[in-house]
Amino acid sequence: MKILRDHAILGAVAVFLIAFPFLIALLDGQSIGAMLAGQSGNSKFYQGLLIEIFILAIFAISYDLLFGITGLLSFGHAMFFSVGAYTAGIALKSLKLPLPETLVLVVFAGVAQALLFSIVLPRVKGITFALVTLGFASVFHIVIMSHELNDWAGGDVGLQNIPKPALLDPANQRLTFYFVALALMLLVYLFYRRFVDSPTGRVCSAIRENEHRAQMLGFNTFYFKLAALIVSGITAALGGALHALYQPIVSPTSASLGYTVNALLIILIGGVGTLSGALVGAAAFRLLQFYLDKLFGESSSFILGVVYVALVLFLPYGIIGTWRAKKLEWRAAWQARWRAWSAARPRGK
Amino acid sequence: MTTIIGTIRKNRTQTITLAALILSFLLAIQGMETGDWIITILRGLSVAAVTFLVASGFSLIFGLMDVLNLAHGTLFMIGAYVGWTAYVRPDTLLDLATPAALFFAGLLLLPLWDRWLSRVRLAPQAARGLPWLALALGVGALAFGFARYPITGWDVTVYDKSPVVFGVQLDLGQLDLPAPAIVGAEQLGVSMLCLFAGGGLIALGLTLLESRNRIAAATTRVPWRALLLALGLALGGLALFAWNDALTAFLVAAGTTWRFLIAVIVATLVGAGLGALMESTLIRPLYTRPIYQLMLTLGLGVIGREVVIALWGRTQMQMPKPALFNTIGQGCPAQTIFDALANQCSTISFMGSRIRTYNEIFIFIVGVIVLIVVWLLLQRTRIGMIIRAGVQDRAMVEALGINVRQVFTFVFALGVGLAALGGVLAGPSMGVSDDMGESLLLSALIALAIGGLTSFPGAAAGSLLVGLLQQFIVKYGQIGIALPFLEQPFKPTPPLVPASTLLLMVIILLALPNGLFGRKE
Repeated sequence: MKILRDHAILGAVAVFLIAFPFLIALLDGQSIGAMLAGQSGNSKFYQGLLIEIFILAIFAISYDLLFGITGLLSFGHAMFFSVGAYTAGIALKSLKLPLPETLVLVVFAGVAQALLFSIVLPRVKGITFALVTLGFASVFHIVIMSHELNDWAGGDVGLQNIPKPALLDPANQRLTFYFVALALMLLVYLFYRRFVDSPTGRVCSAIRENEHRAQMLGFNTFYFKLAALIVSGITAALGGALHALYQPIVSPTSASLGYTVNALLIILIGGVGTLSGALVGAAAFRLLQFYLDKLFGESSSFILGVVYVALVLFLPYGIIGTWRAKKLEWRAAWQARWRAWSAARPRGK
Repeated sequence: MTTIIGTIRKNRTQTITLAALILSFLLAIQGMETGDWIITILRGLSVAAVTFLVASGFSLIFGLMDVLNLAHGTLFMIGAYVGWTAYVRPDTLLDLATPAALFFAGLLLLPLWDRWLSRVRLAPQAARGLPWLALALGVGALAFGFARYPITGWDVTVYDKSPVVFGVQLDLGQLDLPAPAIVGAEQLGVSMLCLFAGGGLIALGLTLLESRNRIAAATTRVPWRALLLALGLALGGLALFAWNDALTAFLVAAGTTWRFLIAVIVATLVGAGLGALMESTLIRPLYTRPIYQLMLTLGLGVIGREVVIALWGRTQMQMPKPALFNTIGQGCPAQTIFDALANQCSTISFMGSRIRTYNEIFIFIVGVIVLIVVWLLLQRTRIGMIIRAGVQDRAMVEALGINVRQVFTFVFALGVGLAALGGVLAGPSMGVSDDMGESLLLSALIALAIGGLTSFPGAAAGSLLVGLLQQFIVKYGQIGIALPFLEQPFKPTPPLVPASTLLLMVIILLALPNGLFGRKE
């Protein structure tokens, strides 16, 4: 029961998301049978949109662990995602591996990158670490685009025609894919919650607040940062693998600075260091992008820029962050209003 | 002697890194013929100068205020576009000057509002809604007035009247400016009044917003200086309007060299103004939560780029070189720099190859001048002293009772002005396009990381390294490197140009985490 009480909102959201495809089908007048059979329609379309959000959320939450919780600003996080996507794609396409082996490979790739980033950890801090990671990611971006790797990675077009496993084919089995992505996102979220509340996670937060003090308390901060990097690397790589399975093409831009900036924007929108902010932010980010594109066409990025500026000015700590900071204040204000209203109301005759 | 050895011993890694850099530089020279490496170095210096203009502004802003201004690349691009307008379309520039002057005259009423507000006590409900009402009304009046003001511009949607065509026309020497639009006196008066009122209302809104966070009343004196300045600006704007046609004719007749000078000045000033505006309105509330500055500057960068695309179109535009550097013909290519200046040559022949006077000489000289001027400003003036002190310890400077806010605004304006200057200088050599800012921001960031993020000499050294490395890789891409175990000479491909600078950055940062000249934290 305690779990339910602690995660009441999460449970409600999960139930809503599970029911979502069916709800849309009902609203749309599509029969449940047709929807389950994967026929095209609004339900299938919105499932696709939500899958993209789930993937983005997994990517963003891994960035939140690194930056929001541990305080490591990385400008190369897109590489974690991209390596996962390319590893999965190449393993399935060129090496013809089955899915489980591919996923194991992806996890190994995630750990390997985390180790690569950790080599520079003891030497560079703060913004310099961000720039070095940017260097790594940009070199990876350039390598993956080079002509020499055309047969493997597809050059600057990207990796195409990845054979999808029959059970998880986003074209025919989108509902299954939807539930798998949803489950993975929720699992990742719950695991991260647990990780952040664990003693290790507490030390990670301490490193963000004041690394010297954490060291003075006797923690070897390197190991904790490494742990955060590895967890984050594996998660992002898994998100990337999901991306490779879902999208028809894995583009090399997924390793570019712009993609890292997306993750940064998502957690800034949601609230830095809140974890749930990454999920909310991913939804807000993707939906904003989608609907602004639909409404304004070419000038949508202008509106998006205005929205960012407005968010910074009016939601000073992101959606979840501002909510947490102002929750009590707002509640008190509403209660006061309610009291004033009920006092002013003429009592029964 | 002992002190030198002492310094070297203390900075052993630095010395080794510098030695390795010099060694690899000499090796790179070894593989080329004399004419080739000299021209490659000159090209590298030119790229370095533009990179330096962006990087130094970025580093000043980051050093003093800890703001990573990711809109810097966009501001560089805006500089190029504004410069292009002043250069190719002087009539549009003059038409725009009057509304701008009126608007700023309105904005300068701010201290007057301030004084008025210190006497009036607003009800809390009014204080919440009124600023936004004033701001909205101000923007509305501005839009209304501006839409009715006659501006001879261009039309992005019609090819014959698009900016691209005017650029090409100027390049061919047959610039054909459209006839100015004529509107009635009544509409003109209304639009001018609206522009002035818009500025005044926006100032009122800003004052009201500000006054909510203030405890005590600020000023009681009548702000004569600001009022006089406002009056002067308004009158100046009107005078510009009265002599608009004569001035346009004068500017068109003055020739491209003078117009280029005006373009440089206008672009720098507009950049500085934009910087001051950005800092004082948007960045200032965010000093307490630094990471959100990233989001804000990113958003501003996107907005700026979209505005530029909406106003000037997506197509890359030509910005012809000024006449002083653009003649082919008698006495050209020149033998010496003086000949080149006398004959206005576009190239100088040197050891069998040609050096372009604009790209390889002029840009570099401007870069060096800016380097010296800013260095003198930092080292020899009072404000420079405050800036240097602020970079070291901001809290201490504030505690000493120095108005750091004004210094912040000044530095932001200076930094953005430098970027805009870089943009207008790069216009004729790189071409004016909406993606010119991004790649340059990345190179500038790399240069700063190499040189040391907050160090001014570091910005220069880093830009130099980045520029030289890029140009050497480009040159070796043409002639190839003879490597010992390869049959064919190895030719670096274009993607290796950015990759090489990134690798250099990573290597240097791993050896020296604070960059070549950065101070230890």
